[in-house]
Amino acid sequence: MLTSLKLMIRPTKVWSYSIGTILSVSVAIAANAAEINNESLQVHGFVAQGVIDADGSNYINDDESISFELTEIGLNASYQINDDFRVAGQAVYLNGGNRYHPGPRLDYLLLEWDAFHNEAWQASFYFGRVKNIHWLYSSVRDVPFARPSIIIPQVTYFDGLRDLGVGGDGAAAKFTYNDDELGEFDFNFSRGKSSFSDEQADVVVGEFAFGKVEHDLDTQVSVYWRPPYSQWRFGVSVNDASFGYQQAEIDNFFDSDFTLQFYTASALYEGEFWQFSAELVQERLVTDGFYFPGFHRDTIGQGYYAQASYQLQKELSVMLRTERFYSNKDDKNGSQLARNSGGLVPAYFGYHNDTMIGLTYDVASNFRINAEYHWMQGGARLSPVVQPDPIANDSKNWQVWAIQFMYWF
Amino acid sequence: MSFSVKNKDEIIKAIFIQIAFIVLLTSPQVQAINIISNITAETVSLSTTQLRRIYSMRQVHWQNGTPIVVYVLSSKNIIHQKFCKEQLRLFPYQLDRIWHKLTFSGYGVAPIEVANESELVEAVKSTKGAIGYVENVLEVSDVNIIKIDD
Repeated sequence: MLTSLKLMIRPTKVWSYSIGTILSVSVAIAANAAEINNESLQVHGFVAQGVIDADGSNYINDDESISFELTEIGLNASYQINDDFRVAGQAVYLNGGNRYHPGPRLDYLLLEWDAFHNEAWQASFYFGRVKNIHWLYSSVRDVPFARPSIIIPQVTYFDGLRDLGVGGDGAAAKFTYNDDELGEFDFNFSRGKSSFSDEQADVVVGEFAFGKVEHDLDTQVSVYWRPPYSQWRFGVSVNDASFGYQQAEIDNFFDSDFTLQFYTASALYEGEFWQFSAELVQERLVTDGFYFPGFHRDTIGQGYYAQASYQLQKELSVMLRTERFYSNKDDKNGSQLARNSGGLVPAYFGYHNDTMIGLTYDVASNFRINAEYHWMQGGARLSPVVQPDPIANDSKNWQVWAIQFMYWF
Repeated sequence: MSFSVKNKDEIIKAIFIQIAFIVLLTSPQVQAINIISNITAETVSLSTTQLRRIYSMRQVHWQNGTPIVVYVLSSKNIIHQKFCKEQLRLFPYQLDRIWHKLTFSGYGVAPIEVANESELVEAVKSTKGAIGYVENVLEVSDVNIIKIDD
């Protein structure tokens, strides 16, 4: 029985060749998409390139210069084997500068088993590398035209923990229930383990920690509900994850265990001209070890984002977002964090705020341009989060702007 | 023969009303969207909620167990837009969002998009379990016409 497909593309020197390969295959397939798509086989993909600049932080790069490190390319295929089984996979190449390690990734590769269905219920199981479907945009966070903006709310979709939050190797189950009186329900469950490359470990724990980061099995559950004929959809999710740090022979840090419990509650409204979405987040992070043997810290962070978009013209819409997060609910302004670190970590590393305005212009039905500006405050969502870098991020206030062109088929 | 300015305005107004009336009479009739399926579906009627489930890929089998193959026109097509609003009571972008999410996360497949109405009819005719929609059902044969109950 296929319980785990552990296929990994090593992020080595092959990545520079992989961009070209994925790109040329994407273009060739896009040209022949009409012939390839039939009832059993479907092939889709996307190509996106942008320009981005972060002033006052090392969010994108260390010298704070204008960057083209905003590349996302993906190619997927789905094949229906018979009435009950389907296989699907997607390869992506991502480059987001310092946000996460650049390179090709096997995004998902799964076997779907349509186990049960009747008029009201449908139960499907997925085995292999599966994506996180538990938050509003988690399954499409790397799909430029399917997410709400270029930089999505860091309170929920923290780039520093991207590889932990994007999915893992294991299994998922999806149960949908439809009722004319009660509406539509989705019950999702997944259990898996994310792969952590050395490059991604640097993003999480910093380059001065020479050891290895291992992600243990994590469990996620979510429920979504849309009332009958409603333009609203509501959801809640729970994630219980743990990962360990194994110190190197010569290291500045020590063996440690981290536990991350992540809870969300969300609402989505889809009107003819107005759209609205919001997620409330609570994050519990328990640290045992790392800074010195016997160190213990248990903090609860909280935050939210709310965003609204309005269709100005048929092809043009504007989005406004506000986002607030503090990493310790008992230290909202970060003063305790600054005191405990003897002043080494400034108080603004205790929180993260973002106010964003963005524009979306649909050039054609599968070609879009996004542009946005962020006024950021604080460093709680800057990597490496377990070891803040107050030298590279010496400003409480910092800004990001980005423009991205995207095509999909 | 001469007209006062007031009479002249009234005559011009009357001419415009006549022209507007003639244009309305001669313009193509506003047609309702009809749902069609392959004859293997064996379903004669669906409720609006069932149709929504099928197009949002939440119901993937007909009552007789045949897998449903969903065909659509481009989301920019006026017939597709009418179908979404009138039959599904959804906006086209809502369906696009559902289908993108399924396609690019691996958790499902999107409907098959065809270039025009005649291709859609041919696809529904020739594909086991297929469903689609047309504006003028009188010109279509060899398919099931599905009645939609509210």
